[in-house]
Amino acid sequence: MSSFLPIEALAPQLALAAGVVAALLAGMLKERPRGLLRAVAVSALLAAALLAGASLPSAHPPLLRLDRIGLCWQELFCLGALPLAVLMEEDEIPVALLFGSVLGMGLLAAAGSFLTLFLGLELMSLPAYLLVSRGRREEEAREAGLKYFFAGSTAGALFLLGMTLYYAASRSLALAPASGPLAQAGLALMGAAALFKIGAVPLHFWLPDAYEAADPEVAGFLSTSMKAAGVLLLMRLAELAPSSALARVLPAFGVMTMLAGAFLALRQQRLQRLLAYSSISHAGFMILGVGAWAAQGATGAGAAAVYYYLIAYLFMSNGAFAFLKTSGLSTRAQLRGYAQREPRLAALLAALLLSLGGVPPTAGFLAKLLILWETVRCGLYGAALAGALAALVSLGYYLALIRDAYFEPAAGQPPPAALRRHSSGERLVLLACAIPSALLGFFPWLAGGLAGVLSGL
Amino acid sequence: MTALAMALDAAFTLALLLVFSNVNRWLGPAPRHEGDGQLPYETGMPPIERAEGSMAVAYYRFAVLFVVFDVDLAFLLPWALSRPVFGAAAATAMSVFVGLLLLLLAYLWRKGVLECKR
Repeated sequence: MSSFLPIEALAPQLALAAGVVAALLAGMLKERPRGLLRAVAVSALLAAALLAGASLPSAHPPLLRLDRIGLCWQELFCLGALPLAVLMEEDEIPVALLFGSVLGMGLLAAAGSFLTLFLGLELMSLPAYLLVSRGRREEEAREAGLKYFFAGSTAGALFLLGMTLYYAASRSLALAPASGPLAQAGLALMGAAALFKIGAVPLHFWLPDAYEAADPEVAGFLSTSMKAAGVLLLMRLAELAPSSALARVLPAFGVMTMLAGAFLALRQQRLQRLLAYSSISHAGFMILGVGAWAAQGATGAGAAAVYYYLIAYLFMSNGAFAFLKTSGLSTRAQLRGYAQREPRLAALLAALLLSLGGVPPTAGFLAKLLILWETVRCGLYGAALAGALAALVSLGYYLALIRDAYFEPAAGQPPPAALRRHSSGERLVLLACAIPSALLGFFPWLAGGLAGVLSGL
Repeated sequence: MTALAMALDAAFTLALLLVFSNVNRWLGPAPRHEGDGQLPYETGMPPIERAEGSMAVAYYRFAVLFVVFDVDLAFLLPWALSRPVFGAAAATAMSVFVGLLLLLLAYLWRKGVLECKR
Protein backbone atom coordinates (compact mmCIF):
# COMPACT_ATOMS: atom_id res chain seq x y z
CA MET A 1 0.00 0.00 0.00
CA SER A 2 1.39 3.35 -0.93
CA SER A 3 1.83 5.99 1.73
CA PHE A 4 -0.24 8.43 -0.31
CA LEU A 5 -3.23 8.15 2.00
CA PRO A 6 -3.46 5.49 4.73
CA ILE A 7 -7.08 4.65 3.93
CA GLU A 8 -7.12 1.58 6.16
CA ALA A 9 -6.09 3.62 9.20
CA LEU A 10 -8.95 6.04 8.73
CA ALA A 11 -11.71 3.50 8.05
CA PRO A 12 -14.00 4.62 10.94
CA GLN A 13 -13.61 8.24 9.91
CA LEU A 14 -14.39 7.38 6.29
CA ALA A 15 -17.56 5.62 7.41
CA LEU A 16 -18.63 8.77 9.22
CA ALA A 17 -17.72 10.96 6.24
CA ALA A 18 -19.82 8.70 4.04
CA GLY A 19 -22.55 9.18 6.62
CA VAL A 20 -22.36 12.97 6.17
CA VAL A 21 -22.75 12.55 2.41
CA ALA A 22 -25.64 10.12 2.87
CA ALA A 23 -27.36 12.51 5.29
CA LEU A 24 -27.07 15.42 2.85
CA LEU A 25 -28.33 13.25 -0.01
CA ALA A 26 -31.29 12.16 2.14
CA GLY A 27 -31.92 15.82 2.87
CA MET A 28 -32.25 16.49 -0.86
CA LEU A 29 -35.06 13.96 -1.31
CA LYS A 30 -38.45 15.51 -1.98
CA GLU A 31 -40.38 13.01 0.12
CA ARG A 32 -38.18 11.46 2.74
CA PRO A 33 -39.34 8.19 4.32
CA ARG A 34 -39.85 8.60 8.06
CA GLY A 35 -36.89 7.37 10.06
CA LEU A 36 -34.50 7.36 7.09
CA LEU A 37 -32.13 9.89 8.64
CA ARG A 38 -32.27 8.13 11.99
CA ALA A 39 -31.33 4.87 10.26
CA VAL A 40 -28.44 6.59 8.47
CA ALA A 41 -27.24 8.14 11.73
CA VAL A 42 -27.37 4.94 13.76
CA SER A 43 -25.90 2.70 11.08
CA ALA A 44 -22.96 5.02 10.29
CA LEU A 45 -22.08 5.31 13.99
CA LEU A 46 -22.34 1.54 14.48
CA ALA A 47 -20.24 0.94 11.35
CA ALA A 48 -17.58 3.35 12.61
CA ALA A 49 -17.54 1.64 16.01
CA LEU A 50 -17.20 -1.80 14.40
CA LEU A 51 -14.44 -0.62 12.07
CA ALA A 52 -12.56 0.89 15.01
CA GLY A 53 -12.98 -2.38 16.88
CA ALA A 54 -11.66 -4.36 13.93
CA SER A 55 -8.63 -2.11 13.36
CA LEU A 56 -5.22 -3.19 14.52
CA PRO A 57 -2.62 -0.94 16.12
CA SER A 58 -0.28 0.45 13.49
CA ALA A 59 1.82 3.51 12.82
CA HIS A 60 1.49 5.71 9.75
CA PRO A 61 4.10 8.41 10.15
CA PRO A 62 4.07 11.31 10.14
CA LEU A 63 0.39 12.06 10.78
CA LEU A 64 -1.36 8.99 12.13
CA ARG A 65 -0.74 6.43 14.84
CA LEU A 66 -3.27 3.83 15.91
CA ASP A 67 -2.80 2.33 19.35
CA ARG A 68 -5.04 0.30 21.65
CA ILE A 69 -6.04 3.29 23.74
CA GLY A 70 -6.98 5.36 20.70
CA LEU A 71 -9.00 2.55 19.13
CA CYS A 72 -10.88 1.79 22.36
CA TRP A 73 -11.66 5.46 22.75
CA GLN A 74 -12.91 5.66 19.15
CA GLU A 75 -15.50 3.02 19.94
CA LEU A 76 -16.48 4.98 23.02
CA PHE A 77 -17.04 8.17 20.98
CA CYS A 78 -19.36 6.37 18.55
CA LEU A 79 -21.35 4.63 21.29
CA GLY A 80 -21.67 7.86 23.29
CA ALA A 81 -23.19 9.55 20.24
CA LEU A 82 -25.78 6.80 19.61
CA PRO A 83 -28.47 8.12 22.03
CA LEU A 84 -28.27 11.53 20.35
CA ALA A 85 -28.59 9.86 16.94
CA VAL A 86 -31.78 8.13 18.08
CA LEU A 87 -33.32 11.06 19.95
CA MET A 88 -32.54 14.02 17.71
CA GLU A 89 -35.01 15.66 15.39
CA GLU A 90 -35.40 14.34 11.84
CA ASP A 91 -33.22 16.83 10.04
CA GLU A 92 -30.08 16.30 7.99
CA ILE A 93 -28.12 19.22 9.44
CA PRO A 94 -27.77 17.96 13.04
CA VAL A 95 -26.99 14.47 11.76
CA ALA A 96 -24.17 15.85 9.59
CA LEU A 97 -22.94 17.98 12.51
CA LEU A 98 -22.91 14.99 14.84
CA PHE A 99 -20.92 12.93 12.34
CA GLY A 100 -18.45 15.77 11.88
CA SER A 101 -17.93 16.04 15.60
CA VAL A 102 -17.40 12.31 16.10
CA LEU A 103 -15.08 12.26 13.07
CA GLY A 104 -12.96 14.93 14.74
CA MET A 105 -12.80 12.91 17.93
CA GLY A 106 -11.67 9.86 15.96
CA LEU A 107 -8.98 11.93 14.28
CA LEU A 108 -7.82 13.12 17.69
CA ALA A 109 -7.62 9.51 18.86
CA ALA A 110 -5.66 8.44 15.78
CA ALA A 111 -3.28 11.39 15.84
CA GLY A 112 0.43 10.75 15.58
CA SER A 113 1.40 14.40 15.43
CA PHE A 114 0.32 17.64 16.99
CA LEU A 115 -1.10 18.79 13.65
CA THR A 116 -3.60 15.93 13.50
CA LEU A 117 -4.33 16.39 17.18
CA PHE A 118 -5.24 20.04 16.67
CA LEU A 119 -7.23 19.28 13.53
CA GLY A 120 -9.24 16.69 15.45
CA LEU A 121 -9.74 19.04 18.37
CA GLU A 122 -11.19 21.79 16.19
CA LEU A 123 -13.21 19.43 14.01
CA MET A 124 -14.92 17.91 17.04
CA SER A 125 -15.61 21.30 18.64
CA LEU A 126 -16.99 23.38 15.76
CA PRO A 127 -20.08 21.20 15.10
CA ALA A 128 -20.69 21.03 18.85
CA TYR A 129 -21.08 24.82 19.07
CA LEU A 130 -23.71 24.62 16.35
CA LEU A 131 -25.47 21.68 17.96
CA VAL A 132 -25.79 23.71 21.18
CA SER A 133 -26.96 26.82 19.31
CA ARG A 134 -29.74 24.83 17.61
CA GLY A 135 -31.48 24.11 20.92
CA ARG A 136 -35.27 24.26 21.10
CA ARG A 137 -35.33 27.25 23.45
CA GLU A 138 -33.88 29.50 20.77
CA GLU A 139 -32.81 32.65 22.62
CA GLU A 140 -31.04 30.86 25.43
CA ALA A 141 -29.52 28.33 23.06
CA ARG A 142 -28.01 31.01 20.87
CA GLU A 143 -26.52 32.81 23.84
CA ALA A 144 -25.12 29.60 25.28
CA GLY A 145 -23.78 28.56 21.89
CA LEU A 146 -21.90 31.83 21.64
CA LYS A 147 -20.47 31.42 25.14
CA TYR A 148 -19.45 27.87 24.33
CA PHE A 149 -17.88 29.07 21.10
CA PHE A 150 -15.78 31.71 22.84
CA ALA A 151 -14.68 29.35 25.61
CA GLY A 152 -13.84 26.68 23.05
CA SER A 153 -11.95 29.10 20.82
CA THR A 154 -9.92 30.24 23.82
CA ALA A 155 -9.04 26.61 24.46
CA GLY A 156 -8.08 26.21 20.80
CA ALA A 157 -5.86 29.29 20.95
CA LEU A 158 -4.21 28.05 24.16
CA PHE A 159 -3.56 24.71 22.51
CA LEU A 160 -2.02 26.35 19.45
CA LEU A 161 0.23 28.53 21.59
CA GLY A 162 1.32 25.53 23.63
CA MET A 163 1.96 23.63 20.40
CA THR A 164 4.33 26.32 19.11
CA LEU A 165 6.26 26.37 22.40
CA TYR A 166 6.54 22.59 22.37
CA TYR A 167 7.66 22.70 18.76
CA ALA A 168 10.34 25.22 19.68
CA ALA A 169 11.66 22.73 22.24
CA SER A 170 11.42 19.50 20.26
CA ARG A 171 11.89 20.79 16.68
CA SER A 172 9.27 18.36 15.48
CA LEU A 173 5.50 18.09 15.43
CA ALA A 174 5.59 14.39 16.27
CA LEU A 175 4.03 13.28 19.55
CA ALA A 176 7.42 12.58 21.09
CA PRO A 177 8.86 13.42 24.50
CA ALA A 178 10.80 16.66 24.86
CA SER A 179 12.40 18.30 27.86
CA GLY A 180 13.26 21.79 29.01
CA PRO A 181 11.22 24.74 30.25
CA LEU A 182 9.81 25.50 26.79
CA ALA A 183 8.37 22.00 26.49
CA GLN A 184 7.01 22.24 30.04
CA ALA A 185 5.31 25.55 29.29
CA GLY A 186 3.93 24.18 26.04
CA LEU A 187 2.55 21.12 27.77
CA ALA A 188 0.99 23.27 30.49
CA LEU A 189 -0.81 25.42 27.92
CA MET A 190 -2.03 22.44 25.93
CA GLY A 191 -3.11 20.79 29.18
CA ALA A 192 -5.09 23.91 30.06
CA ALA A 193 -6.85 23.58 26.70
CA ALA A 194 -7.75 19.96 27.45
CA LEU A 195 -8.99 20.88 30.94
CA PHE A 196 -11.09 23.63 29.34
CA LYS A 197 -12.71 21.04 27.07
CA ILE A 198 -13.39 18.65 29.93
CA GLY A 199 -14.77 21.47 32.05
CA ALA A 200 -12.34 21.27 34.97
CA VAL A 201 -12.68 23.84 37.74
CA PRO A 202 -11.69 26.71 37.41
CA LEU A 203 -12.13 26.45 33.62
CA HIS A 204 -15.71 25.21 33.89
CA PHE A 205 -17.70 28.47 33.82
CA TRP A 206 -19.04 27.93 30.27
CA LEU A 207 -20.26 24.42 30.93
CA PRO A 208 -23.48 24.84 32.98
CA ASP A 209 -24.80 27.47 30.57
CA ALA A 210 -24.04 25.36 27.51
CA TYR A 211 -25.49 22.18 28.99
CA GLU A 212 -28.60 23.89 30.29
CA ALA A 213 -29.54 25.69 27.08
CA ALA A 214 -28.74 22.78 24.77
CA ASP A 215 -31.33 20.11 24.11
CA PRO A 216 -31.00 17.39 26.77
CA GLU A 217 -29.86 14.77 24.29
CA VAL A 218 -27.15 17.12 22.96
CA ALA A 219 -26.01 17.78 26.53
CA GLY A 220 -25.81 14.01 27.00
CA PHE A 221 -23.53 13.76 23.95
CA LEU A 222 -21.35 16.63 25.19
CA SER A 223 -21.00 15.11 28.63
CA THR A 224 -20.00 11.67 27.35
CA SER A 225 -18.26 11.57 23.97
CA MET A 226 -16.92 15.11 24.16
CA LYS A 227 -15.63 14.63 27.70
CA ALA A 228 -14.04 11.32 26.73
CA ALA A 229 -12.23 13.12 23.90
CA GLY A 230 -10.94 15.76 26.33
CA VAL A 231 -9.78 13.04 28.71
CA LEU A 232 -7.97 11.28 25.87
CA LEU A 233 -6.28 14.55 24.89
CA LEU A 234 -5.15 14.98 28.50
CA MET A 235 -3.79 11.42 28.52
CA ARG A 236 -1.85 11.99 25.30
CA LEU A 237 -0.25 15.07 26.83
CA ALA A 238 0.51 13.43 30.17
CA GLU A 239 2.00 10.47 28.31
CA LEU A 240 4.56 12.72 26.64
CA ALA A 241 6.17 13.71 29.93
CA PRO A 242 4.97 11.67 32.94
CA SER A 243 7.15 13.72 35.30
CA SER A 244 6.11 17.10 33.91
CA ALA A 245 4.42 19.72 36.02
CA LEU A 246 1.21 19.11 34.05
CA ALA A 247 1.06 15.42 34.97
CA ARG A 248 1.82 16.18 38.62
CA VAL A 249 -0.91 18.81 39.11
CA LEU A 250 -3.62 16.65 37.54
CA PRO A 251 -4.72 15.01 40.83
CA ALA A 252 -5.07 18.47 42.40
CA PHE A 253 -7.25 19.61 39.48
CA GLY A 254 -9.28 16.44 39.78
CA VAL A 255 -9.94 16.97 43.49
CA MET A 256 -10.82 20.63 43.01
CA THR A 257 -13.20 19.78 40.15
CA MET A 258 -15.04 16.95 41.86
CA LEU A 259 -15.55 18.89 45.10
CA ALA A 260 -16.60 22.15 43.44
CA GLY A 261 -18.96 20.33 41.08
CA ALA A 262 -20.57 18.37 43.92
CA PHE A 263 -21.08 21.40 46.18
CA LEU A 264 -22.38 23.63 43.37
CA ALA A 265 -24.87 20.98 42.25
CA LEU A 266 -26.44 20.87 45.72
CA ARG A 267 -28.19 24.20 45.30
CA GLN A 268 -29.50 23.77 41.73
CA GLN A 269 -33.25 23.80 41.13
CA ARG A 270 -33.22 23.24 37.35
CA LEU A 271 -32.62 19.60 36.53
CA GLN A 272 -30.49 20.12 33.45
CA ARG A 273 -28.23 22.56 35.29
CA LEU A 274 -27.97 20.14 38.19
CA LEU A 275 -26.85 17.40 35.81
CA ALA A 276 -24.35 19.83 34.28
CA TYR A 277 -22.74 20.45 37.66
CA SER A 278 -22.87 16.74 38.38
CA SER A 279 -21.00 16.16 35.12
CA ILE A 280 -18.32 18.59 36.35
CA SER A 281 -18.01 16.52 39.50
CA HIS A 282 -17.69 13.32 37.48
CA ALA A 283 -15.08 14.98 35.27
CA GLY A 284 -13.06 15.49 38.45
CA PHE A 285 -12.93 11.72 38.96
CA MET A 286 -11.81 11.23 35.36
CA ILE A 287 -9.03 13.81 35.75
CA LEU A 288 -7.93 12.21 39.02
CA GLY A 289 -7.83 8.87 37.20
CA VAL A 290 -5.65 10.34 34.43
CA GLY A 291 -3.35 11.80 37.10
CA ALA A 292 -3.02 8.41 38.81
CA TRP A 293 -2.47 6.74 35.44
CA ALA A 294 0.35 9.15 34.62
CA ALA A 295 1.88 8.81 38.09
CA GLN A 296 2.00 5.02 37.67
CA GLY A 297 3.86 5.37 34.39
CA ALA A 298 0.89 4.79 32.05
CA THR A 299 -0.04 1.28 33.12
CA GLY A 300 -2.84 -0.76 31.60
CA ALA A 301 -4.68 -0.92 34.94
CA GLY A 302 -4.70 2.87 35.26
CA ALA A 303 -5.99 3.33 31.72
CA ALA A 304 -8.63 0.65 32.32
CA ALA A 305 -9.90 2.47 35.41
CA VAL A 306 -10.35 5.68 33.41
CA TYR A 307 -11.94 3.77 30.53
CA TYR A 308 -14.32 1.92 32.81
CA TYR A 309 -15.34 5.22 34.39
CA LEU A 310 -16.02 6.68 30.95
CA ILE A 311 -18.11 3.66 29.92
CA ALA A 312 -20.14 3.75 33.11
CA TYR A 313 -20.62 7.50 32.81
CA LEU A 314 -21.59 7.08 29.14
CA PHE A 315 -24.62 5.04 30.19
CA MET A 316 -25.48 7.04 33.31
CA SER A 317 -25.23 10.51 31.82
CA ASN A 318 -26.81 9.72 28.47
CA GLY A 319 -29.58 7.96 30.37
CA ALA A 320 -30.18 10.86 32.76
CA PHE A 321 -30.35 13.40 29.93
CA ALA A 322 -32.55 11.05 27.90
CA PHE A 323 -34.87 10.92 30.90
CA LEU A 324 -35.14 14.72 30.87
CA LYS A 325 -35.99 14.60 27.17
CA THR A 326 -38.51 11.78 27.60
CA SER A 327 -40.25 13.13 30.69
CA GLY A 328 -40.27 16.79 29.63
CA LEU A 329 -39.49 17.89 33.19
CA SER A 330 -37.23 20.86 33.74
CA THR A 331 -37.27 21.77 37.44
CA ARG A 332 -37.02 19.84 40.67
CA ALA A 333 -40.45 21.03 41.75
CA GLN A 334 -41.99 19.31 38.72
CA LEU A 335 -40.37 16.06 39.76
CA ARG A 336 -42.51 15.84 42.91
CA GLY A 337 -44.90 12.92 42.88
CA TYR A 338 -43.52 11.71 39.58
CA ALA A 339 -43.43 8.09 40.75
CA GLN A 340 -47.22 8.02 41.08
CA ARG A 341 -47.72 9.41 37.59
CA GLU A 342 -45.08 7.40 35.74
CA PRO A 343 -43.91 4.51 37.92
CA ARG A 344 -41.86 2.80 35.21
CA LEU A 345 -39.95 5.90 34.10
CA ALA A 346 -39.40 6.85 37.74
CA ALA A 347 -37.86 3.45 38.42
CA LEU A 348 -35.44 3.89 35.51
CA LEU A 349 -34.58 7.37 36.79
CA ALA A 350 -33.92 5.97 40.26
CA ALA A 351 -31.56 3.33 38.83
CA LEU A 352 -29.69 5.99 36.85
CA LEU A 353 -29.43 8.33 39.84
CA LEU A 354 -28.21 5.59 42.19
CA SER A 355 -25.55 4.71 39.63
CA LEU A 356 -24.56 8.37 39.19
CA GLY A 357 -24.26 8.66 42.94
CA GLY A 358 -22.06 5.57 43.13
CA VAL A 359 -24.24 3.39 45.32
CA PRO A 360 -23.11 -0.24 45.33
CA PRO A 361 -23.56 -2.47 43.37
CA THR A 362 -24.17 -0.17 40.38
CA ALA A 363 -21.72 0.65 37.57
CA GLY A 364 -21.07 4.06 39.08
CA PHE A 365 -19.88 2.48 42.32
CA LEU A 366 -17.38 0.18 40.64
CA ALA A 367 -16.15 3.03 38.43
CA LYS A 368 -15.46 5.28 41.42
CA LEU A 369 -13.90 2.40 43.35
CA LEU A 370 -11.49 1.62 40.50
CA ILE A 371 -10.38 5.25 40.21
CA LEU A 372 -9.86 5.60 43.96
CA TRP A 373 -8.07 2.24 44.07
CA GLU A 374 -5.58 3.36 41.42
CA THR A 375 -5.17 6.66 43.26
CA VAL A 376 -4.32 4.88 46.51
CA ARG A 377 -1.95 2.55 44.66
CA CYS A 378 0.26 5.43 43.65
CA GLY A 379 0.22 6.94 47.13
CA LEU A 380 -2.18 9.85 46.67
CA TYR A 381 -4.09 9.19 49.90
CA GLY A 382 -5.34 12.75 50.32
CA ALA A 383 -6.80 12.78 46.81
CA ALA A 384 -8.52 9.45 47.39
CA LEU A 385 -10.03 10.75 50.63
CA ALA A 386 -11.27 13.89 48.87
CA GLY A 387 -12.77 11.65 46.16
CA ALA A 388 -14.72 9.69 48.75
CA LEU A 389 -15.92 12.95 50.30
CA ALA A 390 -17.06 14.28 46.91
CA ALA A 391 -18.96 11.06 46.24
CA LEU A 392 -20.67 11.42 49.60
CA VAL A 393 -21.65 15.04 48.96
CA SER A 394 -22.97 14.16 45.52
CA LEU A 395 -25.29 11.56 47.07
CA GLY A 396 -26.95 14.55 48.75
CA TYR A 397 -28.55 15.72 45.49
CA TYR A 398 -29.01 12.39 43.73
CA LEU A 399 -30.91 10.95 46.68
CA ALA A 400 -32.85 14.21 47.06
CA LEU A 401 -34.09 13.78 43.49
CA ILE A 402 -35.25 10.25 44.27
CA ARG A 403 -36.99 11.58 47.39
CA ASP A 404 -38.72 14.24 45.31
CA ALA A 405 -39.94 11.67 42.82
CA TYR A 406 -41.08 9.04 45.32
CA PHE A 407 -41.88 10.57 48.69
CA GLU A 408 -43.21 14.06 47.97
CA PRO A 409 -46.81 14.77 47.01
CA ALA A 410 -47.32 16.23 43.54
CA ALA A 411 -47.49 20.01 43.54
CA GLY A 412 -49.78 21.51 40.89
CA GLN A 413 -50.27 20.40 37.33
CA PRO A 414 -47.45 18.72 35.40
CA PRO A 415 -45.94 20.95 32.67
CA PRO A 416 -47.48 20.57 29.19
CA ALA A 417 -44.23 19.10 27.82
CA ALA A 418 -44.59 16.22 30.29
CA LEU A 419 -47.99 15.18 28.97
CA ARG A 420 -47.05 14.07 25.49
CA ARG A 421 -46.62 10.40 24.63
CA HIS A 422 -43.14 8.91 24.77
CA SER A 423 -41.79 7.53 21.51
CA SER A 424 -40.45 4.02 21.28
CA GLY A 425 -36.97 5.41 20.52
CA GLU A 426 -36.99 7.33 23.78
CA ARG A 427 -38.01 4.27 25.76
CA LEU A 428 -35.38 2.17 24.01
CA VAL A 429 -32.59 4.64 24.82
CA LEU A 430 -33.68 4.93 28.45
CA LEU A 431 -33.73 1.17 28.89
CA ALA A 432 -30.44 0.69 27.05
CA CYS A 433 -28.82 3.23 29.36
CA ALA A 434 -30.45 2.39 32.68
CA ILE A 435 -29.93 -1.37 32.59
CA PRO A 436 -26.13 -1.29 32.09
CA SER A 437 -25.86 1.57 34.61
CA ALA A 438 -27.50 -0.61 37.22
CA LEU A 439 -25.92 -3.95 36.33
CA LEU A 440 -22.43 -3.26 34.96
CA GLY A 441 -21.13 -3.17 38.52
CA PHE A 442 -21.78 -6.91 38.84
CA PHE A 443 -19.05 -7.61 36.30
CA PRO A 444 -15.81 -6.38 37.85
CA TRP A 445 -13.83 -8.79 35.69
CA LEU A 446 -14.67 -6.54 32.73
CA ALA A 447 -12.23 -4.01 34.16
CA GLY A 448 -9.53 -6.66 34.40
CA GLY A 449 -10.07 -7.61 30.77
CA LEU A 450 -9.87 -3.94 29.79
CA ALA A 451 -6.56 -3.61 31.63
CA GLY A 452 -5.21 -6.49 29.57
CA VAL A 453 -6.38 -4.94 26.30
CA LEU A 454 -5.16 -1.46 27.14
CA SER A 455 -1.72 -2.54 28.32
CA GLY A 456 -1.00 -4.42 25.10
CA LEU A 457 0.18 -1.23 23.41
CA MET B 1 18.87 29.98 30.55
CA THR B 2 15.75 29.39 28.47
CA ALA B 3 13.61 29.96 31.55
CA LEU B 4 15.29 33.32 32.09
CA ALA B 5 14.74 34.23 28.45
CA MET B 6 11.09 33.28 28.71
CA ALA B 7 10.63 35.29 31.89
CA LEU B 8 12.30 38.29 30.26
CA ASP B 9 10.12 37.86 27.21
CA ALA B 10 6.97 37.74 29.32
CA ALA B 11 8.01 40.81 31.32
CA PHE B 12 8.87 42.70 28.14
CA THR B 13 5.55 41.80 26.51
CA LEU B 14 3.63 42.87 29.59
CA ALA B 15 5.54 46.16 29.81
CA LEU B 16 4.95 46.80 26.11
CA LEU B 17 1.24 46.12 26.51
CA LEU B 18 1.00 48.52 29.42
CA VAL B 19 2.87 51.20 27.49
CA PHE B 20 0.77 50.81 24.35
CA SER B 21 -2.51 50.90 26.17
CA ASN B 22 -1.57 53.96 28.22
CA VAL B 23 0.79 56.02 26.08
CA ASN B 24 -2.09 58.05 24.70
CA ARG B 25 -3.20 59.03 28.17
CA TRP B 26 0.31 59.94 29.30
CA LEU B 27 1.35 62.03 26.32
CA GLY B 28 -1.85 63.34 24.78
CA PRO B 29 -4.01 66.21 25.93
CA ALA B 30 -6.73 65.54 28.48
CA PRO B 31 -9.73 63.98 26.67
CA ARG B 32 -12.87 66.04 26.18
CA HIS B 33 -15.75 64.38 27.95
CA GLU B 34 -18.48 66.64 26.59
CA GLY B 35 -20.16 66.50 23.19
CA ASP B 36 -18.68 64.14 20.61
CA GLY B 37 -15.40 63.84 22.47
CA GLN B 38 -15.96 60.22 23.44
CA LEU B 39 -17.06 58.99 20.00
CA PRO B 40 -14.64 56.90 17.93
CA TYR B 41 -13.11 58.95 15.11
CA GLU B 42 -14.06 57.66 11.70
CA THR B 43 -14.47 60.32 9.05
CA GLY B 44 -14.98 63.42 11.05
CA MET B 45 -18.75 62.98 10.82
CA PRO B 46 -20.61 61.81 13.90
CA PRO B 47 -21.56 58.10 13.40
CA ILE B 48 -25.11 57.53 12.13
CA GLU B 49 -25.72 54.21 13.87
CA ARG B 50 -23.95 51.74 16.12
CA ALA B 51 -21.44 49.40 14.53
CA GLU B 52 -23.02 46.25 15.98
CA GLY B 53 -26.34 46.81 14.23
CA SER B 54 -27.86 44.04 12.15
CA MET B 55 -26.92 43.49 8.51
CA ALA B 56 -28.59 41.55 5.70
CA VAL B 57 -27.54 37.93 6.18
CA ALA B 58 -28.33 36.89 2.60
CA TYR B 59 -25.07 38.21 1.24
CA TYR B 60 -23.07 36.37 3.88
CA ARG B 61 -24.01 33.01 2.38
CA PHE B 62 -22.74 34.02 -1.04
CA ALA B 63 -19.50 35.15 0.53
CA VAL B 64 -19.04 31.79 2.27
CA LEU B 65 -19.87 29.91 -0.92
CA PHE B 66 -17.33 31.98 -2.79
CA VAL B 67 -14.67 31.13 -0.24
CA VAL B 68 -15.44 27.42 -0.57
CA PHE B 69 -14.86 27.46 -4.32
CA ASP B 70 -11.93 29.82 -4.04
CA VAL B 71 -10.15 27.40 -1.71
CA ASP B 72 -11.10 24.61 -4.09
CA LEU B 73 -9.11 26.37 -6.80
CA ALA B 74 -6.14 26.71 -4.49
CA PHE B 75 -6.07 22.90 -4.36
CA LEU B 76 -6.80 22.35 -8.04
CA LEU B 77 -3.99 24.49 -9.39
CA PRO B 78 -1.02 22.71 -7.76
CA TRP B 79 -2.73 19.39 -8.48
CA ALA B 80 -2.92 20.18 -12.18
CA LEU B 81 0.76 21.09 -12.24
CA SER B 82 1.94 18.04 -10.29
CA ARG B 83 -0.32 15.47 -11.95
CA PRO B 84 2.49 13.75 -13.87
CA VAL B 85 4.31 13.08 -10.57
CA PHE B 86 1.51 11.55 -8.54
CA GLY B 87 -0.49 9.86 -11.29
CA ALA B 88 -3.67 7.91 -10.75
CA ALA B 89 -3.81 8.21 -6.94
CA ALA B 90 -3.89 12.00 -7.15
CA ALA B 91 -6.51 11.87 -9.89
CA THR B 92 -8.78 9.69 -7.72
CA ALA B 93 -8.30 11.85 -4.64
CA MET B 94 -9.02 15.04 -6.52
CA SER B 95 -12.10 13.65 -8.26
CA VAL B 96 -13.49 12.61 -4.88
CA PHE B 97 -12.78 16.08 -3.52
CA VAL B 98 -14.37 17.89 -6.46
CA GLY B 99 -17.26 15.43 -6.44
CA LEU B 100 -17.98 16.24 -2.80
CA LEU B 101 -17.92 19.96 -3.54
CA LEU B 102 -20.33 19.43 -6.44
CA LEU B 103 -22.61 17.49 -4.11
CA LEU B 104 -22.47 20.38 -1.67
CA LEU B 105 -23.40 22.79 -4.45
CA ALA B 106 -26.31 20.55 -5.46
CA TYR B 107 -27.48 20.43 -1.84
CA LEU B 108 -27.35 24.20 -1.46
CA TRP B 109 -29.12 24.66 -4.79
CA ARG B 110 -31.84 22.25 -3.74
CA LYS B 111 -32.29 24.08 -0.44
CA GLY B 112 -32.68 27.41 -2.25
CA VAL B 113 -29.56 29.06 -0.92
CA LEU B 114 -28.57 30.27 -4.39
CA GLU B 115 -31.76 32.26 -4.85
CA CYS B 116 -31.47 35.90 -3.97
CA LYS B 117 -34.24 36.71 -1.54
CA ARG B 118 -35.28 40.30 -1.05
